[in-house]
Amino acid sequence: MSDVLAQLFVTPVSLSGVEKSLLILPLCLSISIVYKATRLERLRDMPAAVAGLWVTIVIGMYAVGVGLWVVYRVLA
Amino acid sequence: MNTMTNTSSMPPSVRVPLTGLLGWLIPGMGHLFIGDRKRGIIILVTLTLTFWTGIAVGGVRSTVDPQQKKLWFMAQICGGTHALAAYGMGVYSRGDLRKDQLAHSQWGSTEVALVYTGVVGLLNLLAIMDALVRADPASRRGHPAPATVSRMDPT
Repeated sequence: MSDVLAQLFVTPVSLSGVEKSLLILPLCLSISIVYKATRLERLRDMPAAVAGLWVTIVIGMYAVGVGLWVVYRVLA
Repeated sequence: MNTMTNTSSMPPSVRVPLTGLLGWLIPGMGHLFIGDRKRGIIILVTLTLTFWTGIAVGGVRSTVDPQQKKLWFMAQICGGTHALAAYGMGVYSRGDLRKDQLAHSQWGSTEVALVYTGVVGLLNLLAIMDALVRADPASRRGHPAPATVSRMDPT
């Protein structure tokens, strides 16, 4: 078990393009949680605020990605 | 939490720098130190999970590397002991391997790991600044005091 854990943290994981693009989801969730934890005075408001910010960031980032991809396809 | 009453009795000249130092050493610890327990735990758990998720994706050998990735390291080091521990583990596990023998970048996972760990450092910088403001009530003039600070007040 400890060998498996050690290998997990030592050897890089092989990722496909789709997997890499999906890894943006937990990262955006972390950003949303920490940002809202610093901004909100009442922590009970956090779940809704975090969900809203997370959706906004994810949609924004994918929109930028699609936009850049379209520009690349047009120019290529 | 006993530290709540202990820290409120400290002069701001001691409490504020100590809050910043603890917040840098362990993300979320600055908030825990000033008695903002829930906020501190949320930040601690979130940043710890995110940092080590990044390390698990990219591997410890090449993710935190002050020689090859200086700018990323400057962001990562804001994560405090997480970055230092990952760097130490990387040096230990690298052993005698040369840079060109390391398995990195061929799957792009190192880039993902760099973004994860760098973002954790920058988010911790935000958390440290928030803890510093909360540690010094004088800097919050014009803003309502958070509930945890008012509970710290012995009067």
